[in-house]
Amino acid sequence: MNNTRWTVAAAAATTLALTACAPGGGDTSADSDGPIKIGVIADLTGATGDVGTPYNKGMLAYVKWRNADGGIDGRDIEAISKDYAYDVPTAERLYKEYLNEGVVAIQGWGTGDSEALMSKVSADELPFMSASYAEVLTDPAEAPYNFVVAPTYSDQLRVGLNWIAQDAGGPAEVAMFHNDSPFGLAPLKDGQDWISEEGLDLNMEAYPMPAESANYVGLLSQAKSQGAEYIAIQNVSSPAAQVARDIVAQGLDMKIVCLNWCADEQFIDSAGESAEGHILVQPFAPGSAELEGHQVIEEFLQGEGSSLEKEGLHYVQGWYTMHIMAEGIAQALESGDDLTGTAIKEALEGMGAIDTGGVVGTGEVEFSEDSHRGQTGTGVYVAEGGVMKPLELGVTP
Amino acid sequence: MNTFLNLTVYGLSDGAILALAALGFVLIYKATGVINFAQGEFLLIGAYTLYSAFVVFRLPLSVAVVLGVAVAVALGVLIERLVLRPLVGENAISVIMVTIGLAAVLRAVVQLIFGTRPVSQPPLLPRNPIELLPGTSVPLNRLLVILVAAVVLAAFTLFFRRSRHGIAMRAVADDQQAALTMGISVRRIFAMAWALAAVSAVVGGILLGDVTEVSGRLASFGLYVFPVVILGGLDSVPGTIVGGLTIGLISQYVSGYGDPGLAQIAPYLLLIAILMVRPYGLFGETRIERV
Amino acid sequence: MAATATGIYHRSYPRELALRHTRAEYSRLALLVLAMVAAPYTLDFYWLSIVNTILIAVIGAVGLNILVGFTGQISLGQGGFLAVGAFTSALLYERAALPAPLSIACAVVITAGAGALFGLPALRLKGLYLAIATLASQEIIVFIARRWSFLRDGSAPLSVDRLQVGGFEISRELFEFQWYWLLLTCAVLSVLAARNLFRSGLGRSFMAVRDQDIAASAMGVNVIRAKVTAFAVSSGFVGFAGALSAHYTETVTWESFTLEVSILYLAMIIVGGLGSIAGSAYGAFFMMLVPVMLNELISGAGAGIPALTSRLPAIENAVFGLVIILFLLLEPRGLDRIWQRMKDYIRFWPFRY
Repeated sequence: MNNTRWTVAAAAATTLALTACAPGGGDTSADSDGPIKIGVIADLTGATGDVGTPYNKGMLAYVKWRNADGGIDGRDIEAISKDYAYDVPTAERLYKEYLNEGVVAIQGWGTGDSEALMSKVSADELPFMSASYAEVLTDPAEAPYNFVVAPTYSDQLRVGLNWIAQDAGGPAEVAMFHNDSPFGLAPLKDGQDWISEEGLDLNMEAYPMPAESANYVGLLSQAKSQGAEYIAIQNVSSPAAQVARDIVAQGLDMKIVCLNWCADEQFIDSAGESAEGHILVQPFAPGSAELEGHQVIEEFLQGEGSSLEKEGLHYVQGWYTMHIMAEGIAQALESGDDLTGTAIKEALEGMGAIDTGGVVGTGEVEFSEDSHRGQTGTGVYVAEGGVMKPLELGVTP
Repeated sequence: MNTFLNLTVYGLSDGAILALAALGFVLIYKATGVINFAQGEFLLIGAYTLYSAFVVFRLPLSVAVVLGVAVAVALGVLIERLVLRPLVGENAISVIMVTIGLAAVLRAVVQLIFGTRPVSQPPLLPRNPIELLPGTSVPLNRLLVILVAAVVLAAFTLFFRRSRHGIAMRAVADDQQAALTMGISVRRIFAMAWALAAVSAVVGGILLGDVTEVSGRLASFGLYVFPVVILGGLDSVPGTIVGGLTIGLISQYVSGYGDPGLAQIAPYLLLIAILMVRPYGLFGETRIERV
Repeated sequence: MAATATGIYHRSYPRELALRHTRAEYSRLALLVLAMVAAPYTLDFYWLSIVNTILIAVIGAVGLNILVGFTGQISLGQGGFLAVGAFTSALLYERAALPAPLSIACAVVITAGAGALFGLPALRLKGLYLAIATLASQEIIVFIARRWSFLRDGSAPLSVDRLQVGGFEISRELFEFQWYWLLLTCAVLSVLAARNLFRSGLGRSFMAVRDQDIAASAMGVNVIRAKVTAFAVSSGFVGFAGALSAHYTETVTWESFTLEVSILYLAMIIVGGLGSIAGSAYGAFFMMLVPVMLNELISGAGAGIPALTSRLPAIENAVFGLVIILFLLLEPRGLDRIWQRMKDYIRFWPFRY
């Protein structure tokens, strides 16, 4: 017994002593002439892999194109891209791996990982952009190193509600179908507040969409008893397409207003004919809008033997998100400082408008010290004849 | 009334597919004692096999369905032979884990070949809305799903009641030793149980893929097999059918009249409630254990 | 049961109960201690962070093995109990401003209580029915974690400030290093506690319930007490792992506690060896390292084959499934048994057995 106590005490003392000693660390030195490393955390096979894959493809294609075009200030971009399959612990592990490799910035993907890594990237001083447009990421007080390149879900819902109010021309009921998770709930309250602030003659009720459901008729019948003629959907394309199919099957006269995650070609493909006439709120213009910013992508793709039509708008989304970051890095290099995360952050905040050829929202993305919300404008499209036809571009709430 | 009828039809149609999947599960459990966690993945394989045969290789529909069934039989027999046979006698947790491992492998294979995007398949069953009552219309395909599932389930019931192999299976499920002494090849029965389970799941998968979409999400439908089995008991085909339909209806009613998010866990809540009162399921037989 | 060397005679009960008897065993232990002490000085932060995650998993796996391997109760609800531990500790630390050791201790106690609460109705369930009931509890807990806004910071997941005890706060530069020592201590204590449990009467009663519960009750083992205590103790360990993970990752989100996590832990103890504490540790190391190693392998080898890297997650899934199947087919008693056989081979050489 005495033996054991002595051993434990000795072990404890040694442990305490060892904790004080410093160990070997990771590789954090940045090479001042070598490639610029950016860590990319992508969802290729997880729950949102069907949209994550073209997004990642577009992002990496931009890197390839930019490097061929002389890189950033003569230095190549080295994008380290790995799949985390929407598993937050894997995202955290990949983040640490990239940190170890000495990246200067991170491109994330979803709300789950963006919010989980929020405090870490600010502690480690790495600018972070992602495809999560949650409101909390735009506030530099809460998330100083996060940058949101597109309008937030709340902004998109505001635009959607404006459109509904206009289309209804009078009092109308809106049913909001949302993913049964914090991602789905994100814009709800802001949407309700907007209705009262702007005095819109609308009434909105929210219905969570269960994840593995073969049909959404239950929700539709509740929406019907509410008298809803418009359904705003904050979810990804597959469930939204199911709702569209069910609306046709039920012979209901309801119009869907999809927010950006179901407002894409996939929704139209999946729903087929049932997609006709529904409204899509999408900040990133699809190829079919044929804007100035699409040309460079189309040219690149032609060289690769593909086309924008084949790749879809999430490709464009990834492309321009990386472009915005690259421009920030270019600006940081130009100011002559060491290329650190903080320098890039300050460059993004101070450089003014970044041009995206009209593709993102109203066309220009701008950050500032008080706001990391790059854009509030979005495009409103209608699904017609199997494509996304623009109704109005550059709409702000 | 309209809403109720509407919800009932959809609930029954989802429930019918669940019953098909659960039937396979029950078959395997009764005959071999294995708890098969890969049932959802069988649904997946079924839907994708049909997709490959019908859309990729452009075979006529009937040929594609027969091919799907054949692949199911082959898969079932292969799994039983290679994976489950060596584990006879191991404890329950090991067998559960092997089926979980199997599920992961099947999912990965589908992912490797087809990717994660939903694949587009032309509707197999007609979708035109049918007016049941004035003001209530349901799409024809949902009604046909109920019909097809009913036919398949009736065929299985007949098989078990009348055919020699069916009776042999029931014998093995009841008492393996006695069946062996009667000259029944238990090995053959095991293989048959897995093959039939796969067939049942494949048909369910094809139907499910048609009314929703063919994508990796089909596999998660398989988790609802467990509440069905608890509700309906593991001892009879009619019980499974009742269980499947009930779970389908409950989910549908909850999503139609209550909080739709709850519809996802309502079957589990029901399951726990039942198990509290009857630890062997609603229609299950109390197991007599001897030391 | 592995053979021990001959010529070992015990002259007192305490000596007989000791965990190590032979010089060979002591020297292996010394090597292990050396490796554990040397690790943080030789590994870079990335690999150290992987080891840290593994240490947390070891605690969770030990807890699960107590329930599944030693008491024979199938449980698919691991993720749910991890969630209970993580949320409890995070909420007490953040919102009630309890000092970290106290919040973690409370998390352990509360999760143990939740386990016992769950164990009571589970008394009557066996086999398949118990498995399904635990599956249901897992899904329900995840549902609550996803919906209950109390468990969130507005719409963002609950975030936990950097761990600080008294005046000492984990530093940013030495984050992984300091956490390593903390987690190592916790893991070692947990493993020792679990090993000790099975030297005691209570632990033996767990094993009796696993082997033949009816015979055990005929012999005087209070089966009800054993089962409920097993649930409580196991959940306590799991809650500890959950609480530590909340402070380590500094975020608590429902997505970390899904059914996949429960299945991963089950895989750990199956691959490591049911009914063996050392096996839990081996299994935790193995199952957590497989995806990491695969990552390295495919990124390295597949650098020229883009099709391979894009398929990596599908390959990871396939390998996960294959590892489980192969272990169960070839060595159902897991890594622990493989290690025993290796030791026996050397011990018996040149004889076969």
